Amino acid sequence: MTTSSTLRPGVVDPGPPAPRPPRRRGDGAAALAFLTPSIITFLVFVLAPTVGVLVLSFYNWNLLSDGTFVGLDNFDRLFHDGRLLGVYGSTTYMALAILAVNVVAGLLLAVLLETRMPRWLRGFFRLSFLFPFVVSASAVALIWRFLLNKDLGLVNYLLGLIGIDRIDWLGSSAFAPVSVIIVNSWKTIGFSILVYIAGLQSIPNELREASIVDGANAWTRFWRITFPLLSPTIFFLVVINTINSFQIFAEPRVLTQGGPGDSSRTIVEYLYDRAFGDFDLGYASAIGITFALVLIVLTAIQFWFSRRWTFYS
Amino acid sequence: MNIPNRKVALACATAALAVTALAGCSSSDDADTSSAAKTLEIVYWNYGPAAESGNKATADAFMAAHSDVKVSLTPVTGENWGTYYANVATLIASGKHPDLMVISGEGAQFVHANNLVQPINAYVEKDPEAKTLVADIAKGLIDGFTVKGDIVTLTYGWNDMVVYYNTDVFKKAGLEPPSADWTWDDFKATAKKLTADTNGDGKPDQYGFTWASNEIFPGIMPWVANAGGNLTSDDVCTATADTPQVNKAVTFLKDLITEGIAPAPMPMSDVFTRFQNGQVAMFGAGRWPIATFLPAGFKAFDIQLYPKGDTYKTVFGGAGYPILKSSGNPDLAWEYQKFTVSDEIEKQYVGTPDKPGDSIPSRRSVAETISKVGVPPANSDLFYHSIDKYPTLVPYPAPAKYSTFESTVLRHLQQIFASETSVSDGLKNMQGELSGIVTC
Amino acid sequence: MSHRLGFWLARVLTFLVLAVAALAITAPFLWIFRGAFSGSDAELYRLPPSLELGNLTVRNFGLVAEQVPYFQFFLNSIIVSTVITAAQLVTCSTAAYAFARLRFRGKNALFAVVIGSLMIPIQVTIVPLFLVMSKIGLTNTLWALIFPGIFSAFGIFLLRQHFLTLPRELEEAAKIDGSGRLHTFVRIILPLSGPSIATLGILCFTYWWNDLLLPLVMISDTERQTLPVGLVLLAGRFSTGSLGTIAAGIAMAIVPVLIVFIAAQRYIVQSIASSGLKL
Repeated sequence: MTTSSTLRPGVVDPGPPAPRPPRRRGDGAAALAFLTPSIITFLVFVLAPTVGVLVLSFYNWNLLSDGTFVGLDNFDRLFHDGRLLGVYGSTTYMALAILAVNVVAGLLLAVLLETRMPRWLRGFFRLSFLFPFVVSASAVALIWRFLLNKDLGLVNYLLGLIGIDRIDWLGSSAFAPVSVIIVNSWKTIGFSILVYIAGLQSIPNELREASIVDGANAWTRFWRITFPLLSPTIFFLVVINTINSFQIFAEPRVLTQGGPGDSSRTIVEYLYDRAFGDFDLGYASAIGITFALVLIVLTAIQFWFSRRWTFYS
Repeated sequence: MNIPNRKVALACATAALAVTALAGCSSSDDADTSSAAKTLEIVYWNYGPAAESGNKATADAFMAAHSDVKVSLTPVTGENWGTYYANVATLIASGKHPDLMVISGEGAQFVHANNLVQPINAYVEKDPEAKTLVADIAKGLIDGFTVKGDIVTLTYGWNDMVVYYNTDVFKKAGLEPPSADWTWDDFKATAKKLTADTNGDGKPDQYGFTWASNEIFPGIMPWVANAGGNLTSDDVCTATADTPQVNKAVTFLKDLITEGIAPAPMPMSDVFTRFQNGQVAMFGAGRWPIATFLPAGFKAFDIQLYPKGDTYKTVFGGAGYPILKSSGNPDLAWEYQKFTVSDEIEKQYVGTPDKPGDSIPSRRSVAETISKVGVPPANSDLFYHSIDKYPTLVPYPAPAKYSTFESTVLRHLQQIFASETSVSDGLKNMQGELSGIVTC
Repeated sequence: MSHRLGFWLARVLTFLVLAVAALAITAPFLWIFRGAFSGSDAELYRLPPSLELGNLTVRNFGLVAEQVPYFQFFLNSIIVSTVITAAQLVTCSTAAYAFARLRFRGKNALFAVVIGSLMIPIQVTIVPLFLVMSKIGLTNTLWALIFPGIFSAFGIFLLRQHFLTLPRELEEAAKIDGSGRLHTFVRIILPLSGPSIATLGILCFTYWWNDLLLPLVMISDTERQTLPVGLVLLAGRFSTGSLGTIAAGIAMAIVPVLIVFIAAQRYIVQSIASSGLKL
């Protein structure tokens, strides 16, 4: 937990600092009670399969015949896999773009939604933004594939009306990842907006009203009050969107089959093909574990940074 | 097959390592099959209502004829053959031992290489009934399912790759329907005439031809075969993707795109609609499109053989119910397999003009009834003739790692067709990668 | 004067941005709904798109129900999504409270494990998960779809972040009153957390409503499948089914989620007004 002393200068002091609660005994028993339902389901349905993946990564197994123990061979193969680095590259490129769209554009739209407007209009906008999120990813990707077709698709037809030449959305290395970024961001931004809205709703009106009286304009109000109070939400979205966007699967699979080449392929799609195309469960597990480690490191860095800028009241 | 103890141990290790409470690692599941003398368990790909009703009908009819047998069906859902195989493999890994499973021709090498399948050579030789059945099935269909001399299964239904053409678009362009002896040059000239800019914006919006970007059989294979090439050697042990023949076929297709006669490649499902719409005048596929076209009321199409290149070879694929080694009762399973090619069952692949079958019956005598029943297209006799009267591409290029093989081929083709690499460089890279995938 | 002008300019700009975003985001759905009511697929792909609404038909909806046991799938989806959502709201809020407010040994390590569990993609754990399910005999039952969804690191994280923003003073006051932890949690924390809990509810319901991988792997009997599998079945072999029918299927699958969303949205708006959150 961060106290207000680490906040950037200019933050409105939310009041006299709360007195630190006196140090007391831990809440071990209560914590156990509160955590038990999660722990049980975690152990059986999350940890056990994860340990399974760990075990598998030391085996050579194709599901159909007996597995053989191969030690660290699967991990050694990672270094000789000519495609892996390229796939990591395209995954990172697409993930960072999706992350940026979600965190920045999502915040913008959520804040704009706070503007005074009739209730029904606000409801309408919210619903519109969330719409894509409620539909299955592979089903909407199927629709997008039709719309983005280079020579016979609606998107290029509409662009043609304003004089833009046909773009090879799905077939070229330059645009295939862009299509994945667009379709995935389109799908997920409603989620980010929704989480932002919940965060914004928790900001006490009194704080903002107080600053209106102070004569602060919207811009200053946003940076001095909304942004710091929203920082736990922003942090949450950065972490979650990083994890989610690094793990996208359905969109590249349906839209571009990962191509051309590996230009729009993601790690998850790559390991899925190793597991269920090659039936190379051991190697797929090794990819999965190293990929998880990469994400863990990324997230740990984010948590570490968050101590510097996240503000908890 | 022996109970695979190591596999069970591994399964248990994965399941139970973390949670000792779950360590009920008995292999009781595996013992069931021996006592199951008069039951048959059949795994099939549930790709839609047709698959389910068809398999139910077959199972019910079989039980009606064999009152002491209980057939249990395990539908396995999947988006394509690949996910279906993956899910079946997962089932087998968890200790399930089906007697028969539906496979496509692409899966023959896969089940054979993984030692899952019980070849039927002995049955075909000894069973007098089998002789008449086999005589009524085109040789290509038996050869297509023979791996290293082992006959993997009888085929109940199959598809050959033919060119579909939209008769309305042909009429509008003032073109005669193509004939069976057309050449690549004829084809290209025809396709060019069918390409048009109908809304006058200076760019074509009606194209002569396209092919599936997401599959190789209705995609490049007919062209490769007719150029006299193949993607693998005859023993399916070596990749042959950078030969002059393959190069010629791929160059031909790429030129169609660069000359604006074919649109940017799209998956099969997208092609269907564009074809009904007249946006694409010709495309290649098996018999399955009619199951989409006819119920939708679309009948303005016919079929023709692929045009001749340096040679002509029919490219086809089929499906069957191989007997698995895990079967507790292979004799009964053989009866079932035979039943799937009986008149009674084969008739359902013919269908009716409103509810057509989605593949070609493998029995010649049954397939010949398609045109008599009046199921479009008019040229339907061509389906069986193509395998009976023309040379075929056998064995077809479906190595044990078919799924990886196909996706590798498609990945490099994507780059070639997007003009991001030259044909020869693309094929060289493809060959380089395939040499690690196509092995024996 | 210039201040007023700036104010109106900002307002116009705001609504312009919102309207454009709303249009861009919903446009493909107009197409889907148009497709669901269209008489033929050919009509759907005409360029320029036909805007006339003359040939609207509900035939596609009938075809959906004819081709797959839609209502059975619907029921299964409702059961799975509702049970998971209800269970998650309990497990996530209690666990999040423990992580946000209680002191116990190993808290940070445990939280790290929770977050870490988000990192392994389900595509690689699915095989071991299937083996676990098959060992406890739950494959091919709805339980195989429900149990893996109950624990949610995402939900715990979401609610923990929210609980951390709540003023501690309220709880301290309750503590002085002599209330126990459970009482504080139920009477103080939960009522203040309406927006976040409703958000988690929507997200959870939506996620499991659309999940395709688990039913595809875990369930073989058609009558125990869920709606996303129904869409796969409608798409047919190599996705060659009629697009109008698929669009109708998508449209029918959207409606229940929209109802959940609208219901929860009202709650989000109200809970702020009534929470009486004061500093």
